[in-house]
Amino acid sequence: MKTIKSMLLGAAFAVLSQTGMAAESGFTLETVNPEADRLALQAFYQERFAGVPLEDYVNGIYAIDPPSRKQWDALEEFPPYEFDLEEGEELFNTPFANGKGYADCFENGGIGIRQNYPYWNAEQGSIKTLEQEINECREQNGEQPLKWKKGDVAKISAYMAWTSRGKPFDIKIPENDPRALQAYLDGKKFFYSKRGQLNLSCANCHLQGSRLYIRADLPGPMLGHPTHFPVVRSKWGEIGTLHRRYEGCHRDTRSVPLPPQSDEFRKLEYFQTYMSNGLIVNGPGARK
Amino acid sequence: MKKATMMLVAALALPVGAAQAETFEQVFNQQRALHGKGHEFTWQGETYKTFHAEELEAMAEPTQANAVALIESADALRLQSAAVGYEWRDPARYIKQAQAALAEGRFQHAMDLAARAKYQARLSLAQQKQVDASWYRAVPE
Repeated sequence: MKTIKSMLLGAAFAVLSQTGMAAESGFTLETVNPEADRLALQAFYQERFAGVPLEDYVNGIYAIDPPSRKQWDALEEFPPYEFDLEEGEELFNTPFANGKGYADCFENGGIGIRQNYPYWNAEQGSIKTLEQEINECREQNGEQPLKWKKGDVAKISAYMAWTSRGKPFDIKIPENDPRALQAYLDGKKFFYSKRGQLNLSCANCHLQGSRLYIRADLPGPMLGHPTHFPVVRSKWGEIGTLHRRYEGCHRDTRSVPLPPQSDEFRKLEYFQTYMSNGLIVNGPGARK
Repeated sequence: MKKATMMLVAALALPVGAAQAETFEQVFNQQRALHGKGHEFTWQGETYKTFHAEELEAMAEPTQANAVALIESADALRLQSAAVGYEWRDPARYIKQAQAALAEGRFQHAMDLAARAKYQARLSLAQQKQVDASWYRAVPE
């Protein structure tokens, strides 16, 4: 009888310990703890890639793969985004037909503010991204919105990121508005959820799969992902936005991808950027 | 054996013991992966074949009415998966191809394509349910 009791106690312990772990992971509005998530993510990478300084994660795969770093360092001697930056500055400073400009739409004239995006807009009850507000600024001033993925919106965003270089990301989740925390949780869930015929989550490639070959590619770590966008990607041969990359990743799982600036992608960006809080803005960037 | 040791053995043995019982779905998937469709296998004394439910549907008489019904049911499932944000890449393509085959009077081909689309749409919905229940397990603690 004693033996049976011991076995039952052991079995109960095994079940309870797993339940306890799940409860700690913060997957409900009651238990989610963004700061704990951020620290756990940092700890994950510090263990996985011991010796890589946290601040270096702004460089993506180049922080954790020395051979790729060498190629990238060579590429950065003549950064491929320089012309886009110049064009972005010109576009930013070109007045709309009504005489106003982008500077009139943003805090501090739009200079040095990239580190605060995306943010929770309590009035509208949604996440706002920088590219979204660039287009809203245009529409408020009687201009046509730009396409989301590349071209002028990416160039203007690149210039605004450039003026913010070196500033640490400071994404806030207002404690007095549970909708903001829900948006964060939705973004977190998206990141860890498997999708598509290939049954892949963002985490499969950019957490567990960081620096593991997927065919000929080495996926970068998710920590620091949003810091260097928009980027000139060699595969694209031009500059593009973070949501362009989201769409591509989503498609790569053999899903029908969500559109750029969709509610889901904005929440994903909110989660991902919060995870990079404390890391500096280093966009625009150059990637493979 | 000491009490603490017994508890540890029980705790370690539990997940292993639970994993030993193979479900019909596990055996089916293993046999299907190994031998492809139409392979005969036994499970708990009964004989089965490795056809997906949708492939069995496509074995109905190849008529226009049956082809239309299968295409429509496949598209309904595809729309369900799209509504929850889990639509896979290929079902819409297969349905389009099935509609083209239907228009050409190639009913069996249309049914085969629709069955493929319906199967994938069903799996995408199952994926969404599974992910909803288990996504948090991937989060680092």
